[in-house]
Amino acid sequence: MMEALSYDFFRNALMAGLLASLICGVIGSLVVVNRIVFLAGGVAHASYGGVGLAFYLGLPVLPVTAGFSTLAALCMAWVTLSSRERADTVIGVLWAAGMALGIILLDLTPGYNSDLMSYLFGSILAVPDSDLWLMAWLCAGVLALVALFSRGLLVMSFDVEFARSRGVPVRFLHFLLMGLTALCVVMVIRVVGLILVMALLTIPPFMAERRARSLPGMMLLAACLSVVFCVAGLYLSFALDLTCGASIIAVACVGFVISLALPQRRVEIDTQADAAGSSGGPA
Amino acid sequence: MNTPAIEISDLWFSYGGAPVLEQVNLTLPAGDFLAVLGPNGGGKSTLLKLLLGLAQPGGGSVRVLGQPAGQAGGRIGYLPQFTQVSASFPITVLGAVQLGLVRPGFDWFKGRAERARERQAAQEALARVGLAEHARRRLSDLSGGQRQRVFIARAIVSGPELLLLDEPTASVDGKSRQELMALLAELNRDMTIVMVSHDMSTVDGCVKSIACVNRTLHLHADSRLTPQIFAEAMGIDLVAGCPVELLAHGPVPHRVVLAHDSPECCGGRHARKNDGGQPK
Repeated sequence: MMEALSYDFFRNALMAGLLASLICGVIGSLVVVNRIVFLAGGVAHASYGGVGLAFYLGLPVLPVTAGFSTLAALCMAWVTLSSRERADTVIGVLWAAGMALGIILLDLTPGYNSDLMSYLFGSILAVPDSDLWLMAWLCAGVLALVALFSRGLLVMSFDVEFARSRGVPVRFLHFLLMGLTALCVVMVIRVVGLILVMALLTIPPFMAERRARSLPGMMLLAACLSVVFCVAGLYLSFALDLTCGASIIAVACVGFVISLALPQRRVEIDTQADAAGSSGGPA
Repeated sequence: MNTPAIEISDLWFSYGGAPVLEQVNLTLPAGDFLAVLGPNGGGKSTLLKLLLGLAQPGGGSVRVLGQPAGQAGGRIGYLPQFTQVSASFPITVLGAVQLGLVRPGFDWFKGRAERARERQAAQEALARVGLAEHARRRLSDLSGGQRQRVFIARAIVSGPELLLLDEPTASVDGKSRQELMALLAELNRDMTIVMVSHDMSTVDGCVKSIACVNRTLHLHADSRLTPQIFAEAMGIDLVAGCPVELLAHGPVPHRVVLAHDSPECCGGRHARKNDGGQPK
């Protein structure tokens, strides 16, 4: 590992992993507790359209993808709010349409783009300094917005119905959360690729949710778990010559299984006591 | 102080073209404890949404605490249906109660002093529902009945004048239900309570009046259960339906319903099925 650290590209990879972990811990937690994992998946895949668009127009990839996926996310947010019943179907359509658009635009782009696969499966070992800076700014912006609206986001995540009754601007916060998810996805594309984005957004927060005592605590714990997965995955891929993105996810999945096997604090004892108590009452 | 807690006049509401509430009139004096009964889909929850200002009436007016619905904000405490909240959400009991202090619009950062005040208020609300010693526990570690008390604490932490409860006793066991009703009776000394329920057994002692909602609203300014109220609450004709299943778990004396084998009661349809189903 020490030997690896002497390489610039490896230091950049570590930095990218840290930034992605931080943002995934925060946004992933919100995505998981708001039960919008499917929406986040839709945004992640539709953002491929942004990659295609950037190549087609010959513009820098990350900013264009960021703009495109934010737009896609806001569309999806609007769909979920206006036509609740068929929202999941429409998200599925947008999901596929974004990907198809990306591939068609890449087909129309002259020349062969070897970089193409890197956006599907991640290219953490090839993150240039400029992208690292952009990631850092995006990360700072997203964290600032989450902090600014933290109270509303917390109340909405906990109980939408109650939040509405108290005049919390739930509509706005839903759009905000979708927009932030899009920015998060764009950042993580660099690290693990958009195919594997979902794992980093869901596995660490899921593991953290059962052990944390507050939403910020869950975010912090998820971010720490993410860092562990990223570093361990990078090390494995370096040592065994494996694909980085896939290695990171593989480590995360192993962690997920171990976390399921571990006992869940004292919750089980309490629920048993509760079940025994209620079975005594009238059925 | 003599402003009625709720004034509804000639209220109409329809959803997707289908009428949900028709020509509803209701004046509820401050300090009352109203149980809103009725069949599922009869418009009970819609009525609550209209009171909260979450739905706009198709016609007529709704005034709450002397203000148009939706503007009384922190003066109303609200307990949504139990199922709305995920059981695994990472939050402490005290944290959940503090959320009841959220203000309308964007609730920006708070100073240290204000956060301390909020914690203090939450702690007091928890003491009031008898859960003071559980403040530091994780919400998911509590039993169903205790969790419901936490949500009541969240509803009253802002010191409301009107408490709106949506099925407060659903999915809690019999003992917890009795404790909840005793708690509500105690809270009723300080605030008006409107409780939506399809559970007849909650209508005892503490409830002061009953409204039956099934597209229309009938107010009974009296908490005695009559066969007519049963029929309205069930959304049935006395001739066609049978109220016995409502009574199986409740403290209501058997004589308030029709003799079960009388021809008026479901034409003897349940005669065999209910052999062992007499109220205990």
